[in-house]
Amino acid sequence: MNVEIANLTRRFGRNQAVAGVDLEAGPGVLGLLGPNGAGKTSLLRIMATVIPPSSGTMRLLGRDPGVHEPRREIRRRLGYLPQALGYYPGFTVVEFVEYFALLKDMPSARVPAAVAEAVERVDLGAKAKAKLRTLSGGMLRRVGIAQAIVNNPELLLLDEPTAGLDPEQRVQFRALLRDLGQHATVVVSTHLVEDVGAACTEVALMDAGRVVFRGTPADLAALGTDRDTGDAPLERGYTAALARARAGSAGSRS
Amino acid sequence: MTSEDMNWTEPGSPSDVDLYRVWTGVAAEVWRRRPGPAERLAARLLRSPGLARALVTTPSLLLGWVIATVVVLAAGAAATRSTGTPWVALFAPAVAGAGIAYAYGPGIDPTWELSQTMAVSDRMVLLVRALAVFGLNAAAGLAATAASGAAAAVTFGWLVPMTAVCALALAAATVSRSANVGVAAGMSGWAITVLSSRVASGQFTAAVTRAALVIPYLIVAAGCAAIAAYATRIPRGTPR
Repeated sequence: MNVEIANLTRRFGRNQAVAGVDLEAGPGVLGLLGPNGAGKTSLLRIMATVIPPSSGTMRLLGRDPGVHEPRREIRRRLGYLPQALGYYPGFTVVEFVEYFALLKDMPSARVPAAVAEAVERVDLGAKAKAKLRTLSGGMLRRVGIAQAIVNNPELLLLDEPTAGLDPEQRVQFRALLRDLGQHATVVVSTHLVEDVGAACTEVALMDAGRVVFRGTPADLAALGTDRDTGDAPLERGYTAALARARAGSAGSRS
Repeated sequence: MTSEDMNWTEPGSPSDVDLYRVWTGVAAEVWRRRPGPAERLAARLLRSPGLARALVTTPSLLLGWVIATVVVLAAGAAATRSTGTPWVALFAPAVAGAGIAYAYGPGIDPTWELSQTMAVSDRMVLLVRALAVFGLNAAAGLAATAASGAAAAVTFGWLVPMTAVCALALAAATVSRSANVGVAAGMSGWAITVLSSRVASGQFTAAVTRAALVIPYLIVAAGCAAIAAYATRIPRGTPR
């Protein structure tokens, strides 16, 4: 298992962002669904070693991220796309991707080929030498994806990766996700259930800091067969799973 | 051109030629960035190409900033020669403090969150950048004071207060996560020190020449360095 999380919590002051998450994931694409404020981004940031958990245990790629040297090894094998990707406006696409390849400790001899491959995989070859300040929002998102995959990561964490992509780019991106998921554990946080249906092998639905559903996209769709809220089977399953989880937690409170 | 477009072979070409691989190999050569001599030297000294790249992208080590620093110190040297007041000694700590505050940080680096997930730690990047900015400013300041013909006590006297001002600016920048707050703290701290020393002794140069101030400067520097180290500490590990 590349991700082993048990009873993980994260608190920001009085707000419990992650409230006892258990999650295991091996190679494949895991879609992390949930409404705003469900805790998806906090969970991804913990897995990306940006913030530590408040309690619980976590092992990534068989290593403990709480210890310096294993954490460094995890980071060498990690790809992360934050929700809000900052960038250096004066860097070109290639310079930006190369910068993060070097910070990921890739051997410098391997960097140019890895950068070229990552840039081509996100279909930005024609803009390779363009300054980031000249790119559209969708292109910047693809630059972010390129830096995340440049080290051929074993664990890839993507927070809202399709935000800003046009429909054609989203279709290409889903194909890329499926390809990456052959060998790596890809965790994708998204609001777009169609992305989950097209690219994910598994789904975890979060609400109020907890994972309230775990299964395949087909399992999720099956939950909504008797509902009429939503335009697509997965949307109906999504609302059904959320309603069931909320009814359950309301029942346990009363 | 996408990878799908490139995954074909020309009719009549050897079937084992992967044109996509060929293309990315060509692209890698065409797009390859040749590091400059400073970056190559830094990579050799630091034994890390990533750290070297991070160093040469330091905002306060970019050419424009370095030129501005040299201009300010040269103006100070010229003013010292014409007025006799050691302006370089008074400018140098403030200029260095601003440079240190802009070395690195969440308020400066747009990729701060991403940088925190890198194998080359952001703390190491900060340390290397801060030392490089300090070294460059110290060298430029020494050259300017030597050119201004100031007395030996003044020439070296500002190095200790410069250390304290830099540490104060760095601590304020890292705690507040804002380079501008760091600059404001460093400059106002230094201005208060210079003016209060002048009021106490009647001399403009007292802040850099009084031996009694060396220990307080060092205490401030050590305290602020500890605060910066705490503010940039690596998050504690997974609780067991």
